Amino acid sequence: MMANIEEQELKDRLSLIENMIAEGRRTTGTWAWTFVFWGVAYYVAILWTAFNHWPWAWLVTMMVAWVLCWAIIRRKVGSQPERKPSTTVGRAIFSVWIAMGVSLSLLLPALGFSGRFNQNIFVAVVAAMLGFANGASGMMIRWKAQIATAIVWWVATVAACFGTENQSIIVFLIAIFLCQIVFGVYGMILESRVRRQEASHA
Amino acid sequence: MPELPELNPVIHGKLRLALLSLLSGVEEAEFTWLRAKTGSTDGNLGAQILKLEEAGYLAVEKKFVQRKPQTLYRMTDSGRQALTEYVQALKQLLGAAI
Repeated sequence: MMANIEEQELKDRLSLIENMIAEGRRTTGTWAWTFVFWGVAYYVAILWTAFNHWPWAWLVTMMVAWVLCWAIIRRKVGSQPERKPSTTVGRAIFSVWIAMGVSLSLLLPALGFSGRFNQNIFVAVVAAMLGFANGASGMMIRWKAQIATAIVWWVATVAACFGTENQSIIVFLIAIFLCQIVFGVYGMILESRVRRQEASHA
Repeated sequence: MPELPELNPVIHGKLRLALLSLLSGVEEAEFTWLRAKTGSTDGNLGAQILKLEEAGYLAVEKKFVQRKPQTLYRMTDSGRQALTEYVQALKQLLGAAI
């Protein structure tokens, strides 16, 4: 009897360790909205360029989007009752996206100013970069839905290289819709489910 | 017959074990986050953290962020080692039961 009680206590300790490690690693941050946000920003820039033909449309839209995105994140973090700790995986994913953002912010204006800008190259480069970031993030957290968005971006990269300018833009619009808007909304639904579960367990 | 391992008494306490396990999955954490995850009171949590700190299993960093005091806790290498040994000892004690 005593041995059984002790054995149960030891098993409880082991399951406590497993539960707490899982709890600590669980990232319940709300990031899915950023996919929708950037998807809308891409649409704004595409529409602005299509109707106005202003060469600075993309640069201005992206800079405004960066500032707005940063302000919203700071506001969200500030309103949380306790700051969520950073994990190594979380920092790795964040680094991939920031590095991708910086690369695009440097490369695209440089292409524009150097006069070597080309619609097909633009779509191919942006799609390849987004495929890289989504693929890396998806593989790190083993999330099939995000790996699927990476595949869509990679298909768009190849398609943009072979199609006409108009076809490349259509491919880009479809990829943005699937990988930013649909995936972002799907992520937001999942996050709200997790929040509800956490609230019911609290 | 092989000798059964002893469980580290510093880690064996439920709250201290929960704290070390939580911190093993993150880089560093604030007091408020640890309190929320363990459901402990300020006093008890502070006392258990102190014991882990005295044993060299936790490192504490105090700083100001936007003029607000912030206390961050992270697991030390010896804390990680101690937790690993504790888990190995637990598994050895449980033997075929798991």
